[in-house]
Amino acid sequence: MGEIDLLHGYLILGALLFGIGLVGFLARRNMIVMFLAAEMMLQGISVSLVAWGRFHNDWGGQMMVIFILTVAACEAAIALALILMLFHSSGRLDVAAWQHLRESNQQPFVDQELPEAQVDEQTWPELAPAGIEPEHSLDELVHRGHV
Amino acid sequence: MTPTETMTLVATVLAALSLWLLLPRGGRWGRPVGVVLGLISLGIFVSRLSGLTAMGFSDEASGAKLMFWVLAAITVISAAGSVTMGSPVYCAIWFAMTLLGTAGLFLFQGAQFLGVATIVVYAGAILVTFLFVLMLAQSEGHAYYDRVSWEGLISAAVGAAMIGVLTMVISNALAPVTPAIAKASATKVASANAAPEPAAKILIADPATAEERAADILSAQHMDHLGAQLFSKYLIAVEVAGTLLLVALVGAVAIAIQGKQMPKTAGGARHG
Repeated sequence: MGEIDLLHGYLILGALLFGIGLVGFLARRNMIVMFLAAEMMLQGISVSLVAWGRFHNDWGGQMMVIFILTVAACEAAIALALILMLFHSSGRLDVAAWQHLRESNQQPFVDQELPEAQVDEQTWPELAPAGIEPEHSLDELVHRGHV
Repeated sequence: MTPTETMTLVATVLAALSLWLLLPRGGRWGRPVGVVLGLISLGIFVSRLSGLTAMGFSDEASGAKLMFWVLAAITVISAAGSVTMGSPVYCAIWFAMTLLGTAGLFLFQGAQFLGVATIVVYAGAILVTFLFVLMLAQSEGHAYYDRVSWEGLISAAVGAAMIGVLTMVISNALAPVTPAIAKASATKVASANAAPEPAAKILIADPATAEERAADILSAQHMDHLGAQLFSKYLIAVEVAGTLLLVALVGAVAIAIQGKQMPKTAGGARHG
């Protein structure tokens, strides 16, 4: 029967989205990317809730997702305002710029070796020659010069 | 340990390795290996979904299954891309792809309003605001902190362990009861002399029938039903959400202007 298999698929998809978002939130250092990862975890929850709502023929799941959307919009507004303020005071979007908020018995984090910036060779596109040069009539050129 | 549990474990380990290899680090050599490992791990996860993989095209639900596979593949692959891309702009674009995938999944789950709202609110508003902030904050291009990540192996292992545990719990909760559920939902007769069910199976003990779904959650008058529910049963929640939006708006403005130096000279405070 298809319904419970569909529920299974949607729940596992939600788990995958949640786990991938978790990895992103833990591993990335750019505050904006961390925020995107948190939103992705919310998406995983939403997929699961909608699937449960369909399975039980209950509107509660969809309602919950509507309010998740609302809260995500509020959260995005506040968080982006905060990120902008943090950027203005530190000049970076790096969370490691705020590590003086750590506990007093923790060691500071120091970047050991930073990878080289990969500078791509800028190759500009070349225009292929298109068409052929039309024949110029000498007569016309001379005449046009006088006009 | 049953073979399916072993397979889940293998898939989890592969997922952890692949995410670790994909996360931005120094060298670039890990990327293709990470992609291959991730696809293998995804394939193993898919093979757990026994009912959905047995796809016969004579089946009337095969269209829904095919749609599910396409959208799920788009969603998961772009989610991995959005987490592992180096440039935050690419992250945002991949995340937009994830949102489109989930919006499509919502459309196929009888949540048309949510599908459209996800595109409008998330992809249209939130993501564009992200891109604006990126342009304001990081206009000079790649920064060093986008090329490194915190403790890549540990965080990938934590995330993959989360995925593995959730997959195992979900499969164990859903799998053994499937034939009984199918029979009960076909005949809609609750067997009175059945053994007491464990708590995890209560959630799936009462599926709706196809007729009930077609009349309510999958009906063509989707907005009709949704609005009736939203403005009767959830009315107070709607009001609270509206207040929350207003408070967030005022709060965001207050945060944003707090860092600005107000002009002390005449002109600033004389309005009103």
